Amino acid sequence: MSQGHHQNTVAVSRRRFLYSAGLAGVGGLLDNAWDKISAADTMTLPFVNGQRPLVKYPQKRPLIRLTTRPPQLETPFSVFNEGVITPNDAFFVRYHLSESPPTAVNADTFSLEIKGRVNSPVSFSMAELKAKFQPLETVGVLQCSGNSRAFLKPRVAGGQLGNGAMGNARWKGVRLKDVLSKAGVAAGAKQVTFNGLDAPVIEKTPDYIKALDIDHALDGEVMLAYEMNGEDLPMLNGYPLRLIVPGYYGTYWVKHVNEISVVDAVFNGYWMNPAYRIPDNDCACVEPGTTPKGTIPIGRHNVRSFITSQADGAQIKAGQVTEVKGIAFDGGYGIQQVLFSEDGGKTWREADLGKDLGKYSFREWQIHFTPKRADWYTLEVKATNRIGQSQPLEALWNPSGYMRNVVEAIRVQAI
Amino acid sequence: MKPRFVRLRGWRSPRAAQYFGQRFVALCFGVTALSAFAAVLKIEMPIETDVFKTGSGSEIANAQCLICHSVEYVSTQPPLPRAFWKASIEKMQTKYGAPVPNEQVDALVGYLVKTYGVEAAAKTNSAVSAPDTIFKPRLIPTSSDGAQLATANGCFGCHNVEKKIVGPPFQQVAAKYKGDLAGSAKVMRQITEGGSGQWGTIPMPPVKHLSAEEVRILSDWILAQQP
Repeated sequence: MSQGHHQNTVAVSRRRFLYSAGLAGVGGLLDNAWDKISAADTMTLPFVNGQRPLVKYPQKRPLIRLTTRPPQLETPFSVFNEGVITPNDAFFVRYHLSESPPTAVNADTFSLEIKGRVNSPVSFSMAELKAKFQPLETVGVLQCSGNSRAFLKPRVAGGQLGNGAMGNARWKGVRLKDVLSKAGVAAGAKQVTFNGLDAPVIEKTPDYIKALDIDHALDGEVMLAYEMNGEDLPMLNGYPLRLIVPGYYGTYWVKHVNEISVVDAVFNGYWMNPAYRIPDNDCACVEPGTTPKGTIPIGRHNVRSFITSQADGAQIKAGQVTEVKGIAFDGGYGIQQVLFSEDGGKTWREADLGKDLGKYSFREWQIHFTPKRADWYTLEVKATNRIGQSQPLEALWNPSGYMRNVVEAIRVQAI
Repeated sequence: MKPRFVRLRGWRSPRAAQYFGQRFVALCFGVTALSAFAAVLKIEMPIETDVFKTGSGSEIANAQCLICHSVEYVSTQPPLPRAFWKASIEKMQTKYGAPVPNEQVDALVGYLVKTYGVEAAAKTNSAVSAPDTIFKPRLIPTSSDGAQLATANGCFGCHNVEKKIVGPPFQQVAAKYKGDLAGSAKVMRQITEGGSGQWGTIPMPPVKHLSAEEVRILSDWILAQQP
């Protein structure tokens, strides 16, 4: 085992959450006993201190609760095997400030304000946004910068997430470019900042404000979304309006966004600097335990791929064809190839790719695997995107635990 | 958005729970489809009830930390050293404006590192890795902890972490497979199939009663025992 990069293992306390033959065996043994011990449903993620409750939140199915306030909920990994689109009620949640989410939003009175270095400051109601602008739909992955942080070795402080702080949705909304052009971006504009309805409990706590460079904001892909998978956004995912920054980490996807400012300098608020920064080098990594010399704001996703059809430790049948499938994604160039190994990385075969839903989406893949004899097998998956970026065999490390993308491995037992 | 008002307590804090009681989540959708009604989406979040584990200094943690965040921001962290907790409190004071009085910082650091940090973890580990652990019949595991599984399943009858008894020390096993991607599969096979020859002549009996999940956890734990 090289870096312990074995993903998505779960032990779940109730039968209804079990999803693989291997784990069903555990459930059969333990169901009654655990029911007595624990009133609530729990899940154990495969790292030290990985016990988590499964809790139902408004508009959500039971999700893995990392924190209660501000709320952070992780998607159980089995959801990613249900389909290439992550259902709204299973989509992960991550807030930064204690006064969030808003407990009530009136979409009739909500307004989005555009101000700063613009020719004419302007506000739009939700009805105006929907009526005045050409709608746009993008399928895109939203992934937390610290997704998978708890798998880092050595461990780092921060939200101790497994692999479930990501999701793929069809976002519908309007182009930020179109909205900004109504106000008219003034000369000398450098960045655009975004603020939402969530708020800190103490006045001195920095409000959650993020910034994009002006060229990025005007690229025609960054959007203000009011629908997610054909429905209004769930409150916990930013109702009624959130910023969509395709290919970029979730930190930029400001929820409940109601205040957009064009500014003439690089915005250096707390959540841009020093928060959410990565080492200023090609791998965004440093030697474990060391500090980077310089940092830059986190940007695009790197390449990742996962096996979703079997959990780590699952049992399969020897001598029979097993379908292995999963997902891959990158920062917006599109997935070119997915390689699969059944022998711990000695040999690789190319998997079949599923339907292309766009360069920002999860891309499904599948392959057949026939374990010849009863034994343990190490299955690995490695994706490459259209500009040749791929995944490292040994995990990279940075002090904030961002951008983990090591080649994932699971172990399955053929019986 | 700017804070609407400054409060010393989040309204969803455990103290607030005393007033609101233990209500479950109720969800009221605004009737967006009918324009006669305002399109209001209202939610009620689960009430926060957890407080810090009782101990010397927990009163400071409950009074200060819970202003801005729930207990899990501390309790879900891996075992972290004193220096981390000290730096973390400083960061809360200077970056987040937490009103922790300077004279309470040392006591708070001490409480956090002993209750949730490395000093808490050290206590737990010394309890489970004792070499002379008596064999107990297999208990239903209530934890995924590999050390507990090893204890409950009698592994320590023949193995020690550092010293050779009958079987090889776990540190030596971990060292042998370091960097070997197929290593964990080999260790899992050894557990489920048993056998001899790799480390000595006394055969290890197959351990058949463990689930695949338990074998995996045990193997991960063994391979983590790097010298």
